[in-house]
Amino acid sequence: MTSPTDLSRLDETTGGAGITRLPTVVEGPPRMRQTQKEATRNRVIEAARELFDRQGYQGTTIREIAQHAGVSVGSVFTTFASKYDILSQVMQDRLDGLYAELDRVMPYLRGSTLDRLRTMFAIHFAFEVRHKRLFLAYISATYDWTLPSASTPMGRNRRLQDIISECLAKGVSEGDVDARIDPQEIIDLLMGAYVWIYRLAAWHDADAPAMTEVMDRQLGLIATGFAPR
Amino acid sequence: MMHVAKLHLADESGAKAPTRRALAKQQTRVKVLAAARSLFSEQGYEGATIRDIAAAAGMSTGAVFANFADKSDLFREIMVNDMAALAEAMREAGGQGNGVDDALLRMFAAGYAFYQTQLPLARAAFSVGWSPQDGPALRNAAPVQVLRNLIAEQLTRGVERDELVQDVHSVLRAEMLFEAYLSNYPQAIFEGWSVEALQARAREQIGILLAGVRRG
Repeated sequence: MTSPTDLSRLDETTGGAGITRLPTVVEGPPRMRQTQKEATRNRVIEAARELFDRQGYQGTTIREIAQHAGVSVGSVFTTFASKYDILSQVMQDRLDGLYAELDRVMPYLRGSTLDRLRTMFAIHFAFEVRHKRLFLAYISATYDWTLPSASTPMGRNRRLQDIISECLAKGVSEGDVDARIDPQEIIDLLMGAYVWIYRLAAWHDADAPAMTEVMDRQLGLIATGFAPR
Repeated sequence: MMHVAKLHLADESGAKAPTRRALAKQQTRVKVLAAARSLFSEQGYEGATIRDIAAAAGMSTGAVFANFADKSDLFREIMVNDMAALAEAMREAGGQGNGVDDALLRMFAAGYAFYQTQLPLARAAFSVGWSPQDGPALRNAAPVQVLRNLIAEQLTRGVERDELVQDVHSVLRAEMLFEAYLSNYPQAIFEGWSVEALQARAREQIGILLAGVRRG
């Protein structure tokens, strides 16, 4: 897992020229001795992360992941239901670091609700922009018919929604967010904008500042919508 | 609601009677499109294969490829046909609206009603729409642009009728309204929301997105 405090080390590495190793410093409570199953899980996640970054989600097979992890295909399947399940876990692990950092940072952000939301998303894009294709593959796979999982895409992203929700609640108490609007409606629009920008970014190969610029405009528009009337 | 492609009974010149060959080719297209529609609905975009589609249509894969470049081409044609029909329904619904919010809401509702009986196909469409390979072509297809333009027209009409102020962000606003419209489909696909429930949510979203340009 990336060290959550290492946001300054987010360089724009291009794929194909070798894999940038993420620092494997883990923050949080000390681990108990890992069981065999946990060890397998972690190796599979690490291997999948590298292969997905290098070859994309579609271009990677379970067999390749197993091989790269040094485990059997069978043991992959005792821990994960599907390739999509592995992708979900890779995404989740990656985002956990980011959300821990956002949780720490959010209380210190100054300015209006609009300012705070803009800053929050700017941090988010800077952190995630290297993995935008993977993120898109994640969303696309969620709509895939053959997958057992039927939960709403982006509905899983509870933690980001909670962060936004707290930001809006603060806005209500400070008077720049209309208390009569259902916060979930605003959150949904914001999530829609966020996901849209990833798509634009992946298709037009935009960098974090470009993504932030588009998001700033959308946020401005939505903020006018939640200002007290 | 099946929207089978209309049979075009004239060849390119438009003047001569269709040749037997042209009619046969058209019939092949219709059969393949119908089979593809079923299979995409049942198995999703990734799951359906040209081989299966050809078999379901009673054709060879060669016959399929004579008419369609590849699977994504086939899927796009189905979506394009549907969206042409949908655009008409939306245009009419929008025309019955009482004010810009109502017009937009009716347009969105027309879309949700249209796909209510075809949610698996809608799901496949979203899957394709998000994919890096085929997504851009689908999202930028002409009929999708028509839907965006219908929304933009409503905003313009709103300004003309003095409901809305002139908007420097009108292009972005129309785009965000379109995205909001699309964003409600997962509720129908995954949570089984009714058209009424989708409409209620859309009403809120339209309200938020238009708040900045309302007059008075």
